[in-house]
Amino acid sequence: MAKITIDPVTRIEGHLRVDAQIDGGHVTKAWSSGQMFRGIERILQGRDPREAWLFTQRFCGVCTTVHAIASVRAVENALGLEVPLNAQYIRNLIVAAHAMHDHIVHFYHLSALDWVDVVSALKADPAKTSQLAESLSPWKHNSKSELKGVQDRLKAFVEAGQLGPFTNGYWGHPAMKLPPEVNLLAVSHYLQALEYQQKVNKIVAILGGKTPNIQNLAVGGVANAINLDNDQTLNMPKLFAIKEALDEVSSFIQQVYFVDVCAVAAMYPDWLGYGKGVTNYLSVPDLPLDTKGTKFDFPGGTIMNADLKTVREIKAFDEPYFRENVSESIAHAWYDGDWSRHPWDEDTEPKYSTFDDKGKYSWVKAPRFQGKPMQVGPLAQVLVGVALGHEPTVRWATKTLETAGAVAQMKLGPEVLHSTLGRHAARMIRTNVIAELAQKHWTLLAENIGKGDVTSFNKPTFPAGEQRGFGFHEAPRGTLSHWIVIRDAKIHNYQAVVPSTWNAGPRDEKDQPGPYEASLVGNPVADAEQPLELLRTIHSFDPCLACAVHTSDIEGKEIARVKVL
Amino acid sequence: MDIRVIGLGNVLMGDDGFGPFVIETLLAEYDFAESVSVIDAGTPGLDLAPFLIGADAVIVIDSVRADAPPGTQRLYRHDAILAHPPQPRLGPHDPGLKQTLLALEFAGRGPTDVVLVGVVPKTVAPSARLSSVVRGAVPAVVNACVAELDRLGAPPRRRPAPAVVAPWWTADASLPAL
Repeated sequence: MAKITIDPVTRIEGHLRVDAQIDGGHVTKAWSSGQMFRGIERILQGRDPREAWLFTQRFCGVCTTVHAIASVRAVENALGLEVPLNAQYIRNLIVAAHAMHDHIVHFYHLSALDWVDVVSALKADPAKTSQLAESLSPWKHNSKSELKGVQDRLKAFVEAGQLGPFTNGYWGHPAMKLPPEVNLLAVSHYLQALEYQQKVNKIVAILGGKTPNIQNLAVGGVANAINLDNDQTLNMPKLFAIKEALDEVSSFIQQVYFVDVCAVAAMYPDWLGYGKGVTNYLSVPDLPLDTKGTKFDFPGGTIMNADLKTVREIKAFDEPYFRENVSESIAHAWYDGDWSRHPWDEDTEPKYSTFDDKGKYSWVKAPRFQGKPMQVGPLAQVLVGVALGHEPTVRWATKTLETAGAVAQMKLGPEVLHSTLGRHAARMIRTNVIAELAQKHWTLLAENIGKGDVTSFNKPTFPAGEQRGFGFHEAPRGTLSHWIVIRDAKIHNYQAVVPSTWNAGPRDEKDQPGPYEASLVGNPVADAEQPLELLRTIHSFDPCLACAVHTSDIEGKEIARVKVL
Repeated sequence: MDIRVIGLGNVLMGDDGFGPFVIETLLAEYDFAESVSVIDAGTPGLDLAPFLIGADAVIVIDSVRADAPPGTQRLYRHDAILAHPPQPRLGPHDPGLKQTLLALEFAGRGPTDVVLVGVVPKTVAPSARLSSVVRGAVPAVVNACVAELDRLGAPPRRRPAPAVVAPWWTADASLPAL
């Protein structure tokens, strides 16, 4: 038996740490630990609720806009404030663009290299690679000459004795299975994805004023002035620039991202069996279609025990089923006490002790829904969508399973989605649905403005006394909720229950493991010194605990990443 | 010539907010040439790529980890930044400046002239303010940025009446009363 600790905590930031017990080549027990205190909510106490979003979007440098959106929704919920249609559509376009950006970056730049052996791409035949690619997709940048160019570039890097961004990868690991041609194709798309990341980012910049921290939000709407005849406001040229970027990014998502994920899933069929973990799922509705937040383009709800028939829908921004059933436990988290409380009634009093796998071992609290751990993220979004018969989600899920099944020459049903690669497939399915709906919301915005409606803001008023609100947003990584208590127009309490908290949280007072912890159990580990398989499963959730601070470490030397006891 | 001046760091984590604070100071005290973008990029991980892609020169301002007392200024150039391989990662958002520069270099879209100007932080913990020793290092780092822009042939002009440096996150309440 071996115990592995993956702990990059030696950097100032403090990150996610994973401990796993290995027995007979498989994980038998795992612990997920957030290594950094997240008490940022305390900075909000006493401030003006109208400016909470400016601060919350700095919680995390990657998930900026999502915390801004959830925050204004929480205050609007507390005040019972409606949001004009234009503002909903503008927010929805920002949300959609941010999500597409995030998912493309995650697959190509942050996790594809868990499956793709870059060095093996040197052995590929560019002509064969091009033939293979053109048999799968009409994408314009899969020609032999482009692929040869990528391979030459890679060769030059390797001959210069370095692997550039790919240093420290697990090249040649026995768990790497893709043929050289597929590896070359993936490296080529890795490079192209950088360009599309920039294109989609433009949409957020046009509407939000700046990225990564947008400036156009307001409690009650958005600050975008709308005047089709004015250069300084949201006008036709800007709307068409957004449309052009949407079209280009949609092509990449449909013709490249879709195909690549289907191919990886088909060539690693074992990984449609590992990594299941917690099969209770939670997602919330998003892309509101009315001013009150009662009609949405994305459905939300819960599924229990992997049984799609148990689906219960969450229907509105004011949904009591959500409001009343969320709690957080600190039984195994480094906070003072041993409680499980509703977010409105929580406090955040740090009390650090050593890492004790039977006691307290994480800075992350353990969120629960009706006392149960829930998996959040694209897989929850897709399963809830399928269970509720959401047409585009059903269509893209079916197409994905058929395409991957055809490449793998096996029949793939929805049950394979409860897995490590199922989460990647679900993220790609969701991205395709988002790309379609972004086009729809662009049209809705253009038509509504065309009708002469230029309203984008309802002014909030704060009555004396106490109001409680909650705002949710189905972010790229899953259900995000902000909970606010306002007293006499000032913030009295504020809590953010974030997607990576749902997934990365520790055990609770009943010792039920969180989704990361449960998903690792049963994972194979071929080489305890190089636990690539554990990273595959953890990366499939797209964890985001690490980004709350940034300190450059130029002088630091290589630090051992894995400790095997 | 396309030049970007980019501040990195989290304004809610004490001295980690040094980069954005310097950006606010530069914007309050100087006017910049059209070819220069001055950006508070927060803590974007690999999402830094859109801010670097296609640039000719980049000046990054950040807190830096070094074996030196808090407030010490450090300046690194392209080759020094990329001398050590990037750190291993667990969370997919770990990759930062090095990883982004390497990815763009591999894509043939990276800036060739890169300089990182930083200071060693004293306290990195939830707070919207800089420690006094790190706050005291701001003017020297601002001067270093100005000197770099000078070298790149795009010197900023000091405003005759500089605005007060008051980033919104350091204020107790920044919106006008209703």
